[in-house]
Amino acid sequence: MTDTQPQSHPRGDDGRRLTPKERMTNLGIDVVLFTFGLLMILPLVLLVANAFKTPQEMLSWPPTIIPSNPTLDNFSAVLAETPLLTWIFNSLAFALCSAVAILITSTIAGYVLAKFPSKTMGAIFAVILATAIVPFEVYMIPLYFAAQSLGILNSLWGLLLGYLVMSFGIFLIRQNVIQTIPDELLEAARIDGAGEIWIFIRIVLPLLRGALGALFVLAFFQAWTAFAWPLIVATTSSSYTIEVGLALFQTGFTVDLGRLSAASAIVLVPSVVLFLILRKNFVQGMASTGLKE
Amino acid sequence: MRIRKRWLFSLLAILPVLAIFTYVRIIPIGEILRLSLHKWDILSRNKPFIGFANFIELTRDRLFHEALINTAIIAFGVLIITVPLGIALAALIHHRVKSRFSSFYETSVFIPHVVSLVPAAMAWKWIFDARLGPLNAFLSMFGVQPQAWLFDPVLSIICIIVLCSWQALGYAVLIYLVGFKTLPESLYEAARLDGATGLQSFWFLSVPMLKPISLYVSVVTLVSAFNVYAQVYVLASDAQGAPGRQVRVMVLDMLENSFRNYRVGYAASEAVVLLLIVLILTYVQFSLLRDRRTK
Amino acid sequence: MNRLANGLSAFSLLGRTALLASVFGTSLLAATSVSAQEIRVWSGYPEMAAFYEHVAEGMKDEYPDLKVSVEAIALREHEKRVALGITSGESAEVIELATTIAARYLEGGLLNTPPADVQDFVKDPANYTEFFANAASYDGTVFGVPLFRGQSALYYNTDMFAAAGLAEPPKTMADFDAYAEKLAQRDASGVPTVSGWSMRLSGGGSGIAEKFAINMWQHGDELLKPAGDGKWVSNFASDAGVATLKQYLHNLFETKVVTVEMPADADAFERGQTAMFIRESWVIGDIAAKAPDLKYATATLPRGSIVSTGQLYVKASGDKETAAWAFIKATQEPENLVWLLDNVGWLPNRTGDYSSVVATKPGFDAYVNLPAEYAFFTVPAIGPIDEIQTRSAAFLVEAYAKPELAGDDAAIKAFLETIDTEINSILEREGLLGQ
Repeated sequence: MTDTQPQSHPRGDDGRRLTPKERMTNLGIDVVLFTFGLLMILPLVLLVANAFKTPQEMLSWPPTIIPSNPTLDNFSAVLAETPLLTWIFNSLAFALCSAVAILITSTIAGYVLAKFPSKTMGAIFAVILATAIVPFEVYMIPLYFAAQSLGILNSLWGLLLGYLVMSFGIFLIRQNVIQTIPDELLEAARIDGAGEIWIFIRIVLPLLRGALGALFVLAFFQAWTAFAWPLIVATTSSSYTIEVGLALFQTGFTVDLGRLSAASAIVLVPSVVLFLILRKNFVQGMASTGLKE
Repeated sequence: MRIRKRWLFSLLAILPVLAIFTYVRIIPIGEILRLSLHKWDILSRNKPFIGFANFIELTRDRLFHEALINTAIIAFGVLIITVPLGIALAALIHHRVKSRFSSFYETSVFIPHVVSLVPAAMAWKWIFDARLGPLNAFLSMFGVQPQAWLFDPVLSIICIIVLCSWQALGYAVLIYLVGFKTLPESLYEAARLDGATGLQSFWFLSVPMLKPISLYVSVVTLVSAFNVYAQVYVLASDAQGAPGRQVRVMVLDMLENSFRNYRVGYAASEAVVLLLIVLILTYVQFSLLRDRRTK
Repeated sequence: MNRLANGLSAFSLLGRTALLASVFGTSLLAATSVSAQEIRVWSGYPEMAAFYEHVAEGMKDEYPDLKVSVEAIALREHEKRVALGITSGESAEVIELATTIAARYLEGGLLNTPPADVQDFVKDPANYTEFFANAASYDGTVFGVPLFRGQSALYYNTDMFAAAGLAEPPKTMADFDAYAEKLAQRDASGVPTVSGWSMRLSGGGSGIAEKFAINMWQHGDELLKPAGDGKWVSNFASDAGVATLKQYLHNLFETKVVTVEMPADADAFERGQTAMFIRESWVIGDIAAKAPDLKYATATLPRGSIVSTGQLYVKASGDKETAAWAFIKATQEPENLVWLLDNVGWLPNRTGDYSSVVATKPGFDAYVNLPAEYAFFTVPAIGPIDEIQTRSAAFLVEAYAKPELAGDDAAIKAFLETIDTEINSILEREGLLGQ
């Protein structure tokens, strides 16, 4: 890499040739970034590697990076001993439903707040913005009692209760509607006799595709990594999400690190793959949280 | 007529959303404020009003103080690592945006932010393990004595800061990258022609111009670090025959008071304190921003 | 307290002299028809899962359609899910709870009252000593079925003892200090690599206070003193409390035989990282599973032990309730209880013949073959006990990091007085503070 790399992009942004010194600097930066990137994912790589280790190797010193006798025992043991697949399914169902719910609530509210301005709507928007900064952990306890009185603890509905709306999502969609959908377009459709619902579904939604994709990924991963809320709402093994299931599993008695790592790897791999697929959407979604401040 | 129809549509459309929003956000927030002034043990029906007694007790509750101090140290520790490192990495990645590895740089830094918290924390728990962990193995190559990372009162907090920073860094880098893309290229070109080095233009151009982004990232990082819980939960968890070292943080203390000690009102008063901290941090951010605009 | 001591020594006699297995066991199991259904069992001890599954397996013939799912997680998490589950009606049908924790739910009337046959079974002195029947009762009514108990003994590594020239386990608390000093192994710079005595210096909270209480009992007193009328007074700054903390600090900072950072407890013992420690009988099963080659022995403590009793309670209705009680009855079959002792290591509370296990596993000796004067204590079953233990643990952890307190009786007493002040204020808040 060191010998051939510099020739592949010898020109700077402005098209001028880079001096040798600049090329060296770029190479240095590449090395730094590459090393740092590897270090960032190293813990996860180690975890996956541990999943393939035998109990003896797990306890050996110094620790090995690559398993010397890779085994699948940890995977089969953990799948046999814990309802891991149920937990993954619960997490997936929770994350998907939450993302859909947030998409629906945010799109409707964002669109209405953007395109039907009035004093009332202004006030509603102000309230939504104000609650956006209140951390979930602050009102989690009263919400728990709300779920209890609805009788939806230990169920998907109970998990969802905390994740039906997202203040930031409403905000995001509202900004996007203002920026990408001109009033004239809506007026023209109305003059053509289109109903409000038709306009919303046929004109507004398609134009918001990018923002909706971003919000979907954002909401999905928010629910996927939720911890404190599922921990109190789900108290039976069959209703745990993967985060809760694993956290409780690791306090177990006969649990060894190899099995824990196997369980973790089973969870990590799909979420990393999913992220890689949705990366573009996600980056866009996350980035827009910063831009509009 | 058409105006009224539109008005009706907007109202009918937003009402259900508003109803849900009220039920899952506004009411619980109001409820936490109300509960903080009451005494309630979950089991009994009556919730006597006790004024500010919960808050007065908080002022002399040593466990709460410990939680508050630990949480603040963790939050500011994460901030001190994440923001400078985030802007520096973003600058480097932005500089090498044409490199064939640029998407690797971005993705590798960001992945820790999206993977499930618990498995990631487990990976770190093993890394920090005093007996079997690779960190001590690595340090021993340099003749450093093995450290009990998760048991030493200072080191255990550092471990949590490292873990939280590892997770928060990707977000900071991402936001900074967006910020860098908005900076005018011509300014840098001019600086370069004036003989400024890359480091100089980073320090004298990028850093000041990105101040609003820095403030935003700081507040988001601080606020989310003030709610730290899962990381502590996993790193400090102990098995029956192998005690761990508990690092008390605010969310943990809150949940313990609420669901172990059956003091929901008291836990609510802790939540209100947490809320106040977040409000103050946000306020500080806004006033710093306003300062800058008026200058 | 006396009654308890009598009850337990009676048990130990029974255990050793191989009394008749109970004849009541069989009559209790008279089949009740249970249709296809599932009951859940919640346990706070992951190693107990095997026991409950064993019991369920044994019920297959009689109840082919009954499915028992066992959910055993760490104690603190278990207690939290019980708190959340019971108050919201979303708990398991069969719940394992310590007397101290159950008190709060029984006070609120949140657990089922057993059917008459179960009540009679528990009250029958042939099955349980009065102490265990009382531990399963609230306000004179039986609510739970006694299952197992936590009782402490000393575990010591016999190889390390031999290497240090020690033939006998320590007999007095002063012995503990002297032994620990001889047993500690250090590296070149004097840092201990094997602790002479693994004391509980960190952990999830209440455990720290409980271990302190066990040591304090050896010095002659308890953390909370009864003050009549169901009221209590915090007792840390008593002579025994001072002696206990002084001993911790002596081992930590004067002889330096243990540090807060060192691996501790059963885990360390199994890996040869500590020479001795005090713990319940489940460690025997744990060592058998994880470190079968370890050379160790157990010994009784100088004065006596803590006893914490675990019962099974029911929170269910209809058919599930019937099935839950049937399951609980099955746990009390002599065969199952022998299995429990043999395979898990927790001490069954039902009177019976456990001699076969005790004979093959001499480690149990220190739990059942007790000196005549061996004295027992229990943790008071009051609502805020967990909070009291957690809060005192926070103070103790602070003290364990204060070398300046070591050897200074006045400073130790002053420190313990601050704990008393705090604990008394909790008792006062809950209306439990005596004079």
